[in-house]
Amino acid sequence: MIQLHNVSLAYQKDATALNGITLRIEKGEFVFLTGPSGAGKTTLLRLLYGALTPTRGEVLIDGHNVSRMAAAQIPILRRSIGVVFQDFKLLPSRTVFENVSITLEVLGWGRADIGKKVMHVLKQMGMEGKINLTPQRLSGGEQQRVALARALVNEPKILVADEPTGNLDDANKNQILNIFKEANVRGTTVVVATHDRRLIDNCHKRLVSLNKGEIVEQVEKEGVSGESA
Amino acid sequence: MNRWKKKASPASQPNKRPNLAGEGFGGRLGYFFSRALTNVRQNIFVNVVTVGTITLALLIVSLFLLVFVNLENAAENWSERVQVTAYFDHELAAQEKAALRGRIIALPGVARIGYVSRDEALKRFTARLRGQETLLEGVRSDILPTSFEISLKRSNRDTQGVEAFVASLKRIPGITEVQYGEEWVRRFNTFLNFMRLVGALLGVFLVIAVVFIVSNTIKLTIYSRRDELEVMALVGATRFFIKAPFLIEGVMQGAGGAIIAVGLLWGLFEGFLHNAGSFLTFNPATSGLAFLPLEYCGGIGVAGILLGLIGSLTSLKRFITI
Repeated sequence: MIQLHNVSLAYQKDATALNGITLRIEKGEFVFLTGPSGAGKTTLLRLLYGALTPTRGEVLIDGHNVSRMAAAQIPILRRSIGVVFQDFKLLPSRTVFENVSITLEVLGWGRADIGKKVMHVLKQMGMEGKINLTPQRLSGGEQQRVALARALVNEPKILVADEPTGNLDDANKNQILNIFKEANVRGTTVVVATHDRRLIDNCHKRLVSLNKGEIVEQVEKEGVSGESA
Repeated sequence: MNRWKKKASPASQPNKRPNLAGEGFGGRLGYFFSRALTNVRQNIFVNVVTVGTITLALLIVSLFLLVFVNLENAAENWSERVQVTAYFDHELAAQEKAALRGRIIALPGVARIGYVSRDEALKRFTARLRGQETLLEGVRSDILPTSFEISLKRSNRDTQGVEAFVASLKRIPGITEVQYGEEWVRRFNTFLNFMRLVGALLGVFLVIAVVFIVSNTIKLTIYSRRDELEVMALVGATRFFIKAPFLIEGVMQGAGGAIIAVGLLWGLFEGFLHNAGSFLTFNPATSGLAFLPLEYCGGIGVAGILLGLIGSLTSLKRFITI
């Protein structure tokens, strides 16, 4: 599903964000990316949804080479990838419903179908009672659930999350983690960048550790096997 | 992936392949318009600021245009005084008068022609010397010349035009003398050219300032909504899909600003300016300024729409980075 071959990225000549990353994530896998700040987690995620192009190497999503993709193809790629951020990136002027429906409007869905689908997903997130509120009137956990609803409403093949629980308390963290797990059970490949050890320890999923732009450790599923790079 | 092929139960999930709202620009025009209207409603402050800036900018330009158009009209009135007089030393017989009139009218640039007989000349002379009529005692009309007074078409009122006309007029036999107030024509045309140059320069600076202010205001308002652009791009919207509602919004802001500007100008004109004409024409008989002609109002509308559209387009280009 996701393949990175010897990927390097330098923002400036002397500032290498990623260096020779080779990584393969299978369809339906759940992977944590971890490492200290500046390790390259966010950069790696941004490569996956085509917000950055590697300086060297190749990024393949579902067999398509993102690094060589024409600009017009990037939106098509993004429609199969849901993205979630630490700061939620919800639109303050739009209601919960409108924030989620954007994803389907982009796909050209009709109004009736959008209504049904958005309500269905918001119900799954436990947000059906707050569809007409704007994000400012929601708690952090609720905002992240709306952001997740927006990412998952078109049932993406891949869900990418950058520090999704960074702003949340423990109860909300668990709730968000459960949503990730459910999406993964339904077949979505999940990649979560976090430095929250408790989140990783509670989950027992594949762990890829980055430091200074390089993979320094990989721990396989359920913590059974491990290897050091 | 298998899960894309699975048939979901209608109760748990809506159709996988939903009815699409329409493809391409035409099919989605309705969506883009409703999105633009919703954006205006949801970002009312930003829209008020933009429309207000466009209104003020266009109002300044419109006021300038109004003054400029009226100065041109005043100049047009003044230039009516560019008149060529062909004198004859004898009273013209009807046949001779008709023949000469025909030859003069045949010259290019003649707008109007009038014959001044000796009696008419004396009458005018007397009128000019009102109060000092004693000076005219013993003066008979036969010492005064007869003449044709010729008004020129607008295109022939500049210095070269008048001189060319006078040269061809002098070639007509029977004309004793031609007068046209050379100095006045030269000064008048120099003043007119100076006024047009200053007007054009002022206009150009004004338009540059207005475009700069409006485009920066639009840039700031779009910058304040850059999160929206980013989110749209993240969920897979094409550049066109992101831009279209913003561009429609820009056009609406521009058109709205132009309508309000013309409306305000009309209000100002009705309230104050239309009484101020005598300052420009120096002639109470033709006092009263004219409002902008319809094509100028249309031009302001088009300028507003273009300002909104191009301002939005250039700003979007800059901020859709993802």
